[in-house]
Order: sequence, then structure tokens, then C-alpha cells
Amino acid sequence: MKPLWWEQVKAVARLEIKKTFFARRGVWIYLVALAPVLLFGAGAAIHAHQRSRNAGIARQNERRLSYQDLLAVKTGMTKEEIVSALGQPPIDQHWTEMQPDRPVSHEHLQYSDGQNQLYINLNDGKVESVDVQSEFNASESTVVYASIFQFFFLRLAVFFGCLGIFMNLFRGEVLDRSLHFYFLSPIRREVLMAGKFMAGLLATCTIFVTSEVLQIIAFLAQFPPNARDVYLYQHHGLEHAAIYLGVTILGCIGYGAFFLVAGMFFRNPILPAAGILIWEGLNPFLPAVLKQISVIYYLKSLCPVDIPAAPGTSPFFALLIWNADPISAPVAIIGLLMVSVFALYISSIQVRRMEINYTSD
Amino acid sequence: MNDRIVFEDVSKFYGEILGVNRVNLSIPPGVTSLVGPNGSGKTTLMNLMTGLVRPSRGRIEVLGYPTSDPEHLFRIVGYSTQFDAFPKGLSGFQFIYSYLRLAGNDRAAAEQMAWGAIERVNLADAAHRNIAGYSKGMRQRIRLAQALAHDPKVMVLDEPLNGLDPLARSEMIALFRAAADRGCYVMISSHILHEVDVISDQVVLLSNGYVVAEGQIHDVRSEIQEHPTQILVRCTRPRELAAKILEREQAMEVSIHKDERGLLLKTRDADRFYLTLNQLALDGIEIESVAPADDDVLSVYEYLIGNEEVVR
Repeated sequence: MKPLWWEQVKAVARLEIKKTFFARRGVWIYLVALAPVLLFGAGAAIHAHQRSRNAGIARQNERRLSYQDLLAVKTGMTKEEIVSALGQPPIDQHWTEMQPDRPVSHEHLQYSDGQNQLYINLNDGKVESVDVQSEFNASESTVVYASIFQFFFLRLAVFFGCLGIFMNLFRGEVLDRSLHFYFLSPIRREVLMAGKFMAGLLATCTIFVTSEVLQIIAFLAQFPPNARDVYLYQHHGLEHAAIYLGVTILGCIGYGAFFLVAGMFFRNPILPAAGILIWEGLNPFLPAVLKQISVIYYLKSLCPVDIPAAPGTSPFFALLIWNADPISAPVAIIGLLMVSVFALYISSIQVRRMEINYTSD
Repeated sequence: MNDRIVFEDVSKFYGEILGVNRVNLSIPPGVTSLVGPNGSGKTTLMNLMTGLVRPSRGRIEVLGYPTSDPEHLFRIVGYSTQFDAFPKGLSGFQFIYSYLRLAGNDRAAAEQMAWGAIERVNLADAAHRNIAGYSKGMRQRIRLAQALAHDPKVMVLDEPLNGLDPLARSEMIALFRAAADRGCYVMISSHILHEVDVISDQVVLLSNGYVVAEGQIHDVRSEIQEHPTQILVRCTRPRELAAKILEREQAMEVSIHKDERGLLLKTRDADRFYLTLNQLALDGIEIESVAPADDDVLSVYEYLIGNEEVVR
């Protein structure tokens, strides 16, 4: 026989789930969760278009070219030398510039090996500049993905999504004047809180893990098929994907616990949201003890890809980006769970003190 | 005491505002009505005994359970509040069923109890409709059904007859009376004094957060010394009887009833007056009936609290 408290947690979660998933005031959470999916989806579409264009150019080559062939073109070469090495260019644009002393002829040539593009600019018949562009740069893309994950998805989407869902678990019912039905049931308030937290966690995990899965799919769709397999199986792509999903779940747990407490103490969500957002942002500058009372401190250390600060970034911003004092994954997971349990403990004290006084609320 | 609802020196302040002050009550089974004007502390008292608010001072126990123990308290207590709001998106049946499941009842039991409660308040036809579409009276009934669904020993009902039509009112009153007769504790707050009078075994009169009087109506009335007792005597020769009563100086004021078939009189010593009346009856004056004329909640309320915001 299952213990009563567990049955009650499930009963609360059942009551809450519908409200949490289908609340009209929560539509924006879906949009925020969808935003990075759209971004990566658009990226995948652009890359697909680029690939098909490159393939089209490659088909027009006189002969099959390799990446090494493309790299063989150097400045100072003549068009004849290029044509003899690579064949007639699939794209050849030329124009004449009228200089005061004489006309100058310009020519722009394009080749492709199917994946990479070679752009050649000729001036008066000689190569002035060469640019080889890879259609896809896996390491650059993973850094872009990591940046969007850390700075948009985790710190904004998951953060505000948890705010919208967890803060309303109690506050929403105070506003609707229906919390008393729970308080008049034979259920311990701590159990009620646990049930509500579980419902919130189920909702946020479903929304944001789904978003994360779709993001990964859209991200992988950018890769050329052979590069995708290399990334997934040789460059820890699968491992990274699993870690991103895990970090998303831990983010929901951590921010969920923080906002559950905040929802019990504050009527206006803007104040705690701003407070926690600033606190999380200031985390790199806080003393070591205070750093640990944070969610991002642990999540940052769990993220699989370090984001390098761009050259010339000021030390202040570099500190925001760079994880100066990473901790090991087990310590980060245990630390985050402990902080969350502490937040839930405060919630359980507060929920026992709560009174129904809708008029003053 | 495990068979009483006990308030021991209970005060509740909302910041600077007084909710109730120094309340001492020991409520036995039966129908107990909380009577008082708006803001007198009726709802506060009910919220205190169900733990929705905590006392600033004092102790409350409901049949031995502290109000800080909802897990046990609400197995025996059902509270129908005045808050006219419901969880969104639920039908009447789902509303009652969900909270019965929350209490730990299995599916079949919860379903059976929910239907039982819905039928008791005559809402079976509308049970599958969304509560948002209910009329005020239907919302009141579904609230009552939810409070009573688990067959509680203690029913706390805040203005339970509000919004009900006359037929539903009499059905509900019968329901409360039946529960009280089974030994339940039924606490009702009401403005409507003639209904309170009909159903109450005891009353608690409240004014400005203070308990002004409590107990059975008759006992409360007899303790009000400054107002002489009014007695209605039905007889065939009221004028002759009036003269004899005044002759014996047994009444402060005597008036002939409008229908000329009785007397309404005021006396400060009712017991002595009844003895005199017995003597007069032996002397040949035919007396049909004798009854107190102000031994009801309305009179007691007016004597103690005044004539504020009550509906007769």
C-alpha cells in the first residue's frame, strides 16, 4: 500500500497540472521556450540552402574538386593558372572600372567542392584576394550553441519560465481566491507544497526539455550528414546533448525552488524576479560563500562547452562569460540539489504560516 | 475536553485592526449560530477554528485537535466559506471529487461520496457543468456539498443560506437540523435572525469582535436583567385579567392584544408573575396559554447589540 502523503502529492499534482499547462497567463512561457528552437530552425534552413547552392556550383565544375584544390589558389596567380588548376569557374563575373588614367578590369570567380566555397577577386588579370569559406564549422557552431544555451535559454527562458509557473503556484490561487480549498483539506501543508512543486517541475521540465530536444534536433540539422555523425559520435555530441538536457532539468529544479519561495513572500513577481536576476548576474563577483547560494553557479560548471571571451572583451565582461572557478560535476549537482532542498525547506516553513486573508492580498 | 469546540482566551488582530478579542467558548454538539452585524467577528471566528487564520493569542481546539493539524482536523471538519471563488475549469462533480481524492479516498469511494453530496444539495442535473456557469444559488449549494461530502462531525457554515431560494433554504435547514440531531456540531453564521431562531440550539452573539453573550436563547434572555421580560397571555377576558394583574403590582406595563384575545405585559420578576397567574386561574379566569414574547434571538440581539444590519 502506498503511503497517504504520496497519494496526496499525486492528487495535488493532478489538480495543478491542467492549470499549469493550460493557463492563459502562461502562453508567453511557450513562446520563450520556442524562441531558440526557431533560431536554430532558421539556422538549419539557411545552412540547407547554402549546402544546396554549393552543390549546384560544384555540379557546374569542369572536374571534381577537393578542399585541397581550393586552398591551392594564392594571390598573384593569373586567371589562366587558376583555370588550368581548377577548370573554368562555375561563376565568373567581371566588370571594368574607369580610372582617370586607364580602365581597370575586375573579375570575381567562385568554385565549390560541394561543401566549401572559394571566392577569388582578380584585378587586372591577377588574383588580388582569396577567401575559402567552409559551409560548416563544427567547433564554432558548438560555441554558438553553448552561448545561446547559457545566455538565453538557461538565464532567461528557463529563468523566466520557472518564474511564471512556480511563482503562481500559491500566488495565483491567492489572486483567484481559491487557495482555501487546499487549506481546508486533510493534507499537511508541506505535502501540499511538495505536490505543487512536483506539478510545476513536471510542467517546466516538459516545456523546456521538449524545447531543448527540438533545439538539438534543429542544431544537428545544420550539420552536413557526414559531419553530424563525426560530431555526435567522435566529438562528444551525444554526450553534450545529454548534458544540456540534464542541465535544463537541474535549472528547472533550482529556479523552481527559488521561485516557489519567492511566490510565498512576494505579491508582485517583478521584485523577486529582478532581485534573483541581479543576484544570479552578480554571481561571479560574489564572495565564495555567497556564490553557493545561487543556481547559475552550479549550472555554469555543468555546461559542457566553455565560451571563450572574444579578443578585446573588458575584464568585467570576460568574468561574466568565463567560469573562473569551475567545480566538478558531482559537486555541482549535489550543491544545486542542496540549495534547492534548502529553498523548499524555507517554503515548507512559510506555507505552514500562511493565512487566508484575500482582502489584504 | 475532546467533545467540545474550545476557544480559550482567543484574540486575533489584523495588524492594528481587531478581529476578535478574548474569546472564551466551549461549544457543545447541536446547531450553534454566530450572530452579529458585519465586522463583528463571525467569519474571523470560523476562520480561526479551521486554521485559515492563526490566533494572535490564545488556544483553539476542535474535539481535541489543534487547528495547526489539518491532516486530522479536516477528517472531522467541513467548512463552507463565504469566498465565492472556485478552482478554474472544474465541473461541480470534478470539484468535489478532486478534493475527496486529495483527502486520500480511492477513486470509487470518492466518486460515491461526491455523488452522495451532490444529490443531498439537489445539484445532480448540473453536476457535469462547469462551475463558472453556475448561478449564485448553485455555487452556494456546491460549496455546501463540498464541505459536507466527507460527512464531517463538525460543520462550519458561513452564511450557508445566502443566495438560496425558499425551498432550498428549508431543505438546507432540515439537513443541518438532521446533522445536529445525529450529534454533529453545526456552526452557522447568519444575519437572518428568524432562521437562526428556528434552527439554533445555542447562539453566540458577537459585536465588534467581542462575544456579548452565548448559550441557549432562553438562558441568555434570562440573564438580561435591564430589560423586563415580555409575556404574552392568551385568555378570554383580557381586560379583567389586566386589572387584576395591575392590582397585584405584578407587571410594569400591560397592554391588550390587538385581537382582544390576550395581554402583552412586561415584568421584572417572571417567576413571581407565573405564580400570581396560577392563582388568578384558580380564581376563575380562563387562561389559554402563556408564553415569553421576547425569548427569541431577535429580541436578545436587539437588547444586547442594538438594531444593526439584521434581517428579520
